[in-house]
Amino acid sequence: MINRRNFLGLGLGALAVSMAPSSLSAIDFRKEKPKAWTATKVDEAINELFGKKATPSKKVKLKAPDIAENGAVIPVTVSSDLAGSKVAIFQDANPESTVAVFTVPKGGIIDYSVRIKMAKTGNVTVVVEENGKLYSASKEVKVTIGGCGG
Amino acid sequence: MAKKTRIKAKLKKGVVTVKALANHENLSYQEAERAKKEANFITYVVAKVNGTIVYELSSSQFLSKNPYMKFSFNADAVGVKKGDKLDFTWVDLKGNTRADSKKIK
Repeated sequence: MINRRNFLGLGLGALAVSMAPSSLSAIDFRKEKPKAWTATKVDEAINELFGKKATPSKKVKLKAPDIAENGAVIPVTVSSDLAGSKVAIFQDANPESTVAVFTVPKGGIIDYSVRIKMAKTGNVTVVVEENGKLYSASKEVKVTIGGCGG
Repeated sequence: MAKKTRIKAKLKKGVVTVKALANHENLSYQEAERAKKEANFITYVVAKVNGTIVYELSSSQFLSKNPYMKFSFNADAVGVKKGDKLDFTWVDLKGNTRADSKKIK
């Protein structure tokens, strides 16, 4: 008998792929670099994503609160004048490090704000890639109430 | 579950600034366990104007609930005018997707 379980699994997988809007994806980093999303350390995640190390630079600006009362909603803003092609946000408070990876399209301005959540106090690190070089900035955010139910 | 994404897009001095609030629970694995629900979160977001990508984000479970995103881009480089439509699409872990569009003011 053909393995019914496997067969179903395949069908589901194919369905998921076909449902993803393929015409939209320029780079979906979750598919391209699956390992980067399970890395538990910031350095590891950066290495998985970009294949090299980042150097701290003043050209990258990171805005985040010093103290976040609610870890579930922490506004983080990355801005830079670098002609970067990729921007990534990491933190070291949650089980996995990678939070978000942006691809900077043509005409894109590096000034991204997102809201993230952190389980406890930790460092937020942002990385901007310009011409194959990595520039980073990081900041400690004190979390008084955990965002991941901590 | 997938409600409309609230979008504001404004063109000013050649720069389009977009603010978007996606409606999504964004449950991380830890939170999902506590709430006895399945983890599900937005994994990919893309915004386009006239078919040109202006914003692209791959994200993990650690975006906040109902994630808010703000970004801007150079209108001239993409050839965007007022009144053009901004298409905003997200995809989550389960493959759900939601597309909304808004006119640029």
